[in-house]
Amino acid sequence: MDVEEVKERAGPREFSPADDMPEEYRKAATRMIQFHANSEIMGAYLERPFVRQSPSLERKLAFSAKVQDEIGHGQLLYRAAESLGVKTRDEMLEELANGEGKFLNCFHYPMDSWHETPMIAFFVDGAAMRRQATLKKTSWEPYAHAMDKVCFEEGFHVKHGEHILAELAQGSKKDQEKLQEAFDEWWPRILQFFGPTDDKSTHHDFAADVGLKQMSNDELRNAFLNAYVPKARKYGLEIPEYPRIEENDDGTWKVREDDLDWDEFFTVAKNDYEGSHEQIGKRHDTQEAVEWVRDVLDDHEQRPMGGAGPAAAD
Amino acid sequence: MIWEVFRQENAGEYHTHCGNVHAPDAEMAKLFAQIQHGRRKPTHSLWVVPQPEVHEVDDEDTAFGGTTDKSYRWAVTYDVDASFAQEVADSEREQEEAARSRGDD
Ligand SMILES: [Fe+2]
Ligand SMILES: [Fe+2]
Repeated sequence: MDVEEVKERAGPREFSPADDMPEEYRKAATRMIQFHANSEIMGAYLERPFVRQSPSLERKLAFSAKVQDEIGHGQLLYRAAESLGVKTRDEMLEELANGEGKFLNCFHYPMDSWHETPMIAFFVDGAAMRRQATLKKTSWEPYAHAMDKVCFEEGFHVKHGEHILAELAQGSKKDQEKLQEAFDEWWPRILQFFGPTDDKSTHHDFAADVGLKQMSNDELRNAFLNAYVPKARKYGLEIPEYPRIEENDDGTWKVREDDLDWDEFFTVAKNDYEGSHEQIGKRHDTQEAVEWVRDVLDDHEQRPMGGAGPAAAD
Repeated sequence: MIWEVFRQENAGEYHTHCGNVHAPDAEMAKLFAQIQHGRRKPTHSLWVVPQPEVHEVDDEDTAFGGTTDKSYRWAVTYDVDASFAQEVADSEREQEEAARSRGDD
């Protein structure tokens, strides 16, 4: 199939590994899905310390379930990316550990206090879910299938995140202050979650033309604002003055894109931010620490009866 | 040899198990699967898989989803509004449907 035919046929779940896809499509899809997979993993690592730091048993259970889900999303997505035949999962994990792999801006910043957790678990998961819901219609079938399961699970993440937010917002004066502080710090990053504005985005056109991407960055960001600005207000959070958020005539919202720090965004995008090194370093060390597990599994697979023996219970 | 057959109705949908055929090799299995399973119902693609390659674990072997109360991992547990975002409401509804068909409540 050539690129022209791909563009002509591009539609929801249109292409699968049974189709002979041009290299340009396979590379673009790999870049997009690998980025998504990496982000699931890096998000899980950012939240992992809060399994231990949860203030109650209920929160601890929910947080550990969420972190486990995110790692699972990463695994599903690496499979979807692998099915394009460009990179193996090992290569992608190696790239993530050595700092070549790219991932979402929000996961390059350290998260230190419990009051920050709803910034990820409600706002970032909410933003991600908004985007993922549109990707159920992506043209690469294995990616769309991964989105079916991811979206099924994510409702729990977002509602649990909002539950923490509600609890803190109704807490002591001190809780409310710390929550507002966290919000001031995270809000601009959250707005940049959807990536550069359409006129600065480099990969959008092709990904949209071949049906990989269903909505532009700006459309997604605005849709997110419409749902989440009222939520922030409901919990008494004050929207920072900058970046300026403007209300359209029809009651929907948009952000003044020029108010956002795109230099910082592109530094983050290159894995060159302070936090980038820290987060990637942590991931790298963990990857190395469990290398022996992968080695044992690989040895087992290579033995003649490997994999065909009785399955061990988990 | 027996081959298990999976049928996909339209591009993008899931291949689901629809039966099996007797065949001496994969080529013949694909042919027989077409005749048996691909003619009357809408078919976009068929997979054939040698039956010995299909390994099973069922609910007698294991407790799927564990044996302890895991309500903390379901959206419906959290008494905050899901209707503000279509995708959150959809996810909650899908989870509720799954809980019902698992017979959880
Ligand atoms: Fe996720
Ligand atoms: Fe999530």
